[in-house]
Amino acid sequence: MIEVDVRGFVCPVPLMRTKKALESGPAKIVVLADDGTAKTNVTYLLQDEGYAVAVTNDGDDYRIEGNKQ
Amino acid sequence: MGKRRVLGPSAWMLGATGLAIGVFAAYLVKQGNPGNMGLCIACFLRDISSFFGGEAMNMNGFAYIRPEIVGMMLGATVAAISFREFKARGGSGSVYRFVLGFIFMVSALIFLGCPVRAWLRLGGGDLNAAVGIAGLVVGIFVGTVFLKRGYIVGRVKKLAKPLGFVMPAIAVILLVLALVTFYNGAAPGGFSTVAKGAKKTAEGAVFTAEKVVSPADASMVDGAIVGADGAVVASSDSVAAATGVPGGSRAPLYLSLVAGLAIGAAAQRSRFCSVGGIRDSILIKRYDLLVGVAGLVIGVAVMNMVFGQFNLGFEGQPAAHTNFLGNFLPMVLVGLTAVFMGGCPLRQVIMASEGDLDAVAAVLGMMLGAVASHGLSLASTGAGPASGAWVAMGVMAAVTLGIGFLRTQKA
Repeated sequence: MIEVDVRGFVCPVPLMRTKKALESGPAKIVVLADDGTAKTNVTYLLQDEGYAVAVTNDGDDYRIEGNKQ
Repeated sequence: MGKRRVLGPSAWMLGATGLAIGVFAAYLVKQGNPGNMGLCIACFLRDISSFFGGEAMNMNGFAYIRPEIVGMMLGATVAAISFREFKARGGSGSVYRFVLGFIFMVSALIFLGCPVRAWLRLGGGDLNAAVGIAGLVVGIFVGTVFLKRGYIVGRVKKLAKPLGFVMPAIAVILLVLALVTFYNGAAPGGFSTVAKGAKKTAEGAVFTAEKVVSPADASMVDGAIVGADGAVVASSDSVAAATGVPGGSRAPLYLSLVAGLAIGAAAQRSRFCSVGGIRDSILIKRYDLLVGVAGLVIGVAVMNMVFGQFNLGFEGQPAAHTNFLGNFLPMVLVGLTAVFMGGCPLRQVIMASEGDLDAVAAVLGMMLGAVASHGLSLASTGAGPASGAWVAMGVMAAVTLGIGFLRTQKA
């Protein structure tokens, strides 16, 4: 599993870092974000790359979990 | 193993948002907005600045609180709160963003439009916009080189919730001023606004279909404007040849406001951005934001053809000039500053309305940039760029690149 922490960053940085993390083709990836746009963009990126995505709210933060389908 | 999808659900939502913005924009022009200016973030923020800057800043021809902008702000705030995305945040290079917003605006007013209007102009057949968009692509490309090398404007910090309401509060104040001005027939408190449908003669006399606005005490006699002392200020030929004052070209207030509300809410939900599509295509090979822009161009082009507003060519385009470098170079700066700010001016307005104080700084930088642009006579006219524009672009390019190098940390 790979974890990417992009809290405190706004797009395109969260997308760039997630995209980079996906290069190794992980079966599971967790992205921590605190920005609504980052949450949406990362979710769509993971879905388009073939991951099943679940988002949970942790206070003001988002935990985006992707599992390769 | 799932297959990699090139265009996912976000692309269709963005495409629909772009299409809606394009259709609204063409309709707002039909209803009275300036040509190819159904929506322009730079121009409309400038018009709002002009309401406060007025004659002192050489801006009185533009003064009008554009309800599209106010509506967009409030629509985005309501959408963000409804979907629990309204968050007070800031501290991520506010000063840099203010400066970048300022430079963005001065540059946009040399091209004569923000990226949103560049796409709208393209959809109106204005080929000068294609030159500007070529410059925009170059600017965005330079921006992505910085991003790849580690450019980060700053880390965002969470702030106390009430601080997030700065932009919405400003929007409410602007709305009140706009409504008071509308029902009062004139701007309150020493501010200025252009009368709806106002035209200006070569002599500088301003009039509407109902009355003479300037000089005061003058009146219309047999199609000529005559002063209180009986002297002719502008002949009937001069009055017939008068051209519209930009701030007086506008759609009905409530129509503009409703269009703004809808666009603001849709843009907040979809994250529509007029430069992000090109940026993401280069940077991460994602094209969904580009679908939004494509939707906008298709929407406005089709509706312009329906309304008979489509005019293909370089010459005689509304609120545009034909100077090649005067269209190309400022848009390079627009593209670069937009990438450095983290999104196009439309996105800045939307993010500011979601509680992002850094975006508020960018928007205020834009509004002050408009005052400087007109106060220092840097803005272009239909005749072409002002003489000072070239020097200004050189200085602004140096400052923008300086910020780029300053905020690029070794990865």
